[in-house]
Amino acid sequence: MNIEDAAQLTQTYYCLDCGVCTGSCPVSRVLPSFSPRLIVEKALLGLGDELLKDQELWSCLTCSRCYERCPSSINFPEFMRLLREEASKRGTQPVYSHHGMLQTIMELQTQGINQKKTEWAREAGQVAESGDTFFFVGCMPYFQVIFRDIGVDSLSVSKNVIKILNGAGIKPVVSDEEHCCGHDMLWNGQVEIFKKLAFHNLEVIRKSGAKRVVFNCPEGYYTFKKHYPEHFGELGFEVVHVYDLVAQMLADDVLKVENGAGPLTFHDPCRLGRMAKIYDGPREILNKLAKDQFKEMERNRENAVCCGTSGWANCGTGSKQIQMERLAEAKATGAQTLITACPKCQIHLNCALNNMDIDLQIKDLTSVLAEAIK
Amino acid sequence: MTRELLDLMGIDKERLALEWVSSAEGGRFAEVVTSFTQKIKDLGKNPLGVAA
Repeated sequence: MNIEDAAQLTQTYYCLDCGVCTGSCPVSRVLPSFSPRLIVEKALLGLGDELLKDQELWSCLTCSRCYERCPSSINFPEFMRLLREEASKRGTQPVYSHHGMLQTIMELQTQGINQKKTEWAREAGQVAESGDTFFFVGCMPYFQVIFRDIGVDSLSVSKNVIKILNGAGIKPVVSDEEHCCGHDMLWNGQVEIFKKLAFHNLEVIRKSGAKRVVFNCPEGYYTFKKHYPEHFGELGFEVVHVYDLVAQMLADDVLKVENGAGPLTFHDPCRLGRMAKIYDGPREILNKLAKDQFKEMERNRENAVCCGTSGWANCGTGSKQIQMERLAEAKATGAQTLITACPKCQIHLNCALNNMDIDLQIKDLTSVLAEAIK
Repeated sequence: MTRELLDLMGIDKERLALEWVSSAEGGRFAEVVTSFTQKIKDLGKNPLGVAA
């Protein structure tokens, strides 16, 4: 898609030049050379060719804070995504983190490999080959191997999802054939790879006969909810976030939890909060787990700050600064535990925590919940 | 770690080898490469569907 079409689609022409985007941008605060307003200006002034070569194109976290506040409702993250699509067609790419290992794994998945990534699920609880509920595990088995060195136990979250579902009498389907949801490829501008991954996932899920697909990863959830229908139309199954399911289970008294996990605070992941608009579900759960001990950070809900990196690209000193400020903010609430709800937030914030001298632990909401089940 | 990742992807981890050979050990280098090449030939085509 050329820049003019992208500008048309995301209503960039309505820019008032007010600069709220740059003022809201967590990246602009730490890397002043990056400015959403300037990017929009350049696009509208017909400087597209220059823009597409600019490395700053990949600095955006696509965290959507600017879109949330823009008086003209310009979807800047989507605009960036469309520009990245065009830029990658012309051969530019971001600086991949972790030596591009994660992108390689995603690309290899489109080459017809036979993965063996669900052994843990059978140990964690009861799973099925086919049934009504499909649990989309996502990248967690890979994260487990890659990030355990920084002290993140990614798979425990997936195991806990199975425990929670089992607790409610649900035997979810897990599949070795499931591929990456394609979120990162999509935001890295590699839309063709995204489409291959997504098409395959849809086939696998439809073959399983599932009527609903449960996610714990906000990125997977949002990608299925928003981008899959955009590319492939009606999905034919329901896309459910595990927190919605849990909130319902708590309300129906199917699931009983103990109060006493506090003091804690909550970090809204951008895909879960600003993009999927799931703010209340996690808070209802947290209020049950730590009544009166759950404290909000200063920047919460739609004002929450991104965990500093997205799409496994362009992680740098700016990312670290964003993460360290966020951790200090969490500590300032008096919390001992920072709760996140996204596997990547957990990885990124833990990475920064390892280099800081503060007494704080980071846990996933799913795990805290599983610990509190009576 | 790479071996574990290969395992998850269903690629035989025996297809990866890491050896240290000093620049003074020409004979050993030839030996390592020959034996690994033979091993890969014995394992056959990889499952990726790309040209082997």
